[in-house]
Amino acid sequence: MMFSGARAKADSERRMAMEIEFGARSDVGCVRENNEDSYRVAAEMNLFVLSDGMGGLASGEIASRLSVDTVVKHCGEAAANPSLRMMGARIAGASEASNRLASAIRLANEAVYGAAKQNGNDGRMGATLAAVRFEGERMTVAHVGDSRVYRLRGGNLEQLTRDHSFVAEQVHHGRMTAEEASTSALQSVLLRAIGIEAEVDVDVSEELLVEGDTVLLCSDGLTRELSDEQIGGVLEECEDAQQAADSLVELAKQAGGGDNVTVIVVRCSPKPTGTLARIGKWFRDSA
Amino acid sequence: MSKLVLKFENSVLKEVPVGTSEVSIGRSPENGLVIDNPAVSHYHARVFQEEGRLMLEDFGSLNGTFVNGQRVKMVTLKPGDSVMVGKHTIVVTESREASSGLITWNGNARPAAPKINETVMLDTKARRDFLQQVAAGGESSQIAPARVKVATLVVRSGKTDRKEYALTDKLTVVGKSAMATVKLKGWFAPKAAAQLSRREGNEYYLGAADKIPSVNGTPISHPTKLEPGDVIAVAGIELEFVYRD
Repeated sequence: MMFSGARAKADSERRMAMEIEFGARSDVGCVRENNEDSYRVAAEMNLFVLSDGMGGLASGEIASRLSVDTVVKHCGEAAANPSLRMMGARIAGASEASNRLASAIRLANEAVYGAAKQNGNDGRMGATLAAVRFEGERMTVAHVGDSRVYRLRGGNLEQLTRDHSFVAEQVHHGRMTAEEASTSALQSVLLRAIGIEAEVDVDVSEELLVEGDTVLLCSDGLTRELSDEQIGGVLEECEDAQQAADSLVELAKQAGGGDNVTVIVVRCSPKPTGTLARIGKWFRDSA
Repeated sequence: MSKLVLKFENSVLKEVPVGTSEVSIGRSPENGLVIDNPAVSHYHARVFQEEGRLMLEDFGSLNGTFVNGQRVKMVTLKPGDSVMVGKHTIVVTESREASSGLITWNGNARPAAPKINETVMLDTKARRDFLQQVAAGGESSQIAPARVKVATLVVRSGKTDRKEYALTDKLTVVGKSAMATVKLKGWFAPKAAAQLSRREGNEYYLGAADKIPSVNGTPISHPTKLEPGDVIAVAGIELEFVYRD
């Protein structure tokens, strides 16, 4: 499924407009029969959500689709009605937007958990979830599972989320090296997911947005095939976000494509001001 | 690890462990637990794992399957349960090792690897045990301690609006912008020199923004976890990172 790049504006508290350009691509990969990844871009809310489903038959697709849809829906309802009730405890020190996103993800968990009971199969289905939301110069990063959010800043690719996986927890506590984790047979064992239990602990953090930042959301189908260096290289080289997204997916498939692969690339660039900049834009748009 | 102990009139005939795959019970030799007796159907019943529980299912056998005296179709088994199949008794026992779950984990042993890169979820009990175990390894854990320590930045040198900053927000900015908590003075101070991001477990990660900060003299190359006592240097100021009660 292709999504052509488009533009959205993020107006900051200090009235400096930062332009956000994005691109996304999801592919079944070279081995799997169906694509259980889902994603949604709600540009008007500067919201980007990605989910990797798990469960037999079509359960994975159902779980991931329901997850992203619920998140977008709840955030949309809250945008229209800011006093909409929040689900779960407030996170101290987090912005309203962050709390709202966490609330949306808890709702997604409830939705998938409930749907699993009605689903045939063995009644279990789940999904990972990774989401970012921009508000001025603040970016909320929220995730459950092992789909990731990265940021490219100053030429460095930085992983902003810690996987909720057995191996990542081992690495964090110094019981395993990152290298051992990447080759471990247990690397796909999750400690947290959407829809598996009645409640889920959403991992939320906030980051400052700086001009030139590139943010990447991806399912593990990308990071199983490509190294951080390769990913960073593609993000640096590509002309625009959609090209970067397409290239990442193609490279992942060339490297094996053992799983569904989904990426969302978001670029934050300062809005050009002044006459020369406007002329430049005119030339670009008419080319 | 659960075991099925087959008995006939108080004599133990054999023991069969129940692992992650099922144990089928019946007269046919293909079964995992073979009971050669006319009162037992060829394919009588099976015992299997589901979500950390041991389940027994009767295959619609002629004489039925009884657990603790009651005829059953599908039921959860507990250690000590007595299953009657024909005239034989199968007792469910638990051996010394950690009880089996969907995937078990007991300290040094590893969970059984899932098949072919399938993403799976650790079962609830195993997950909680695991998280408690790693937490007990000395690090501050997710399980909330009695009193949460407040991360604080103490200004060691440089011009800022305060001498100390208790960090309460998810995102703390060092700079001149309206968003900054640690406000830098001076004409040439950057809007956002550096940022601190609070992650799970009350951990703080220092990240670069307009400038690249150093921790204990070394410039960071990626968001870096701060330890108590670390000294951050950026944009002409020095901040010591500590936890206070």
